[in-house]
Amino acid sequence: MDWQGQKLAEMLMQLLLVASAVAAFVVGYAMADFQLMLLVYAGGVVLTALVTVPNWPFFNRHPLKWLDAAEADRHPRPQVSATPSTVGKKKAGKNK
Amino acid sequence: MHSFGHRANAVATFAVTILAAMCFAASFSDHFNSPSPTASVKILNINWFQKEANGNDEVSMTLNISADLSSLFTWNTKQVFVFVAAEYETPQNALNQVSLWDGIIPSKEHAKFLIHTTNKYRFIDQGSNLKGKDFNLTMHWHIMPKTGKMFADKIVMTGYRLPEQYR
Repeated sequence: MDWQGQKLAEMLMQLLLVASAVAAFVVGYAMADFQLMLLVYAGGVVLTALVTVPNWPFFNRHPLKWLDAAEADRHPRPQVSATPSTVGKKKAGKNK
Repeated sequence: MHSFGHRANAVATFAVTILAAMCFAASFSDHFNSPSPTASVKILNINWFQKEANGNDEVSMTLNISADLSSLFTWNTKQVFVFVAAEYETPQNALNQVSLWDGIIPSKEHAKFLIHTTNKYRFIDQGSNLKGKDFNLTMHWHIMPKTGKMFADKIVMTGYRLPEQYR
């Protein structure tokens, strides 16, 4: 899931959950049925999970554009000559 | 939000937070219910009225309890506990309460009832103050909600009097 996809997923999650909560409360209050409210809300939560939890293709429409590896070779990182031991200790990336 | 687990966790925690808010709202909606319950208790007979060996007065009576508590029920009501208490004043205590009968009303359909019964719990005074005593019969109820605050209220019925003599 790319950055835009994560933003979209979080927005969708909050919107869907709040909307289903409001719908559930209105239905439950109107029908005077507490259990119906819980069922409607449970349905909303399941729907929200199905929409926002799996890594759907529409969360991956903005892939990161990395520079070509050849660019790095052409512009090497400046070496710090005084303390060469720190070079190359950068932590490994977390991106999956 | 970058992994499946993070997103599942976010959905679960936010869903439960909102659920708590919904329960709060459901409890709050109880305040918009303005109930109009009715109750009446008739004493059909004083079965016996005596002083026990230890000096305490005890009465046995047959009661006819009728009430319509259906307006107490809202969509957020689990059950209603109701009890009838004899209330009277003695020189020692400004308020004595003796529970004579109680019951649990599980639903609105059962909230309108008429019960013919002797006192379920013994009506004993801590002393010998009951001869010719004026007393109230009070119907108390506690509304137990599905979520939120418990409400309690009562209807006081006045004008009852015990006999002047043991029988």
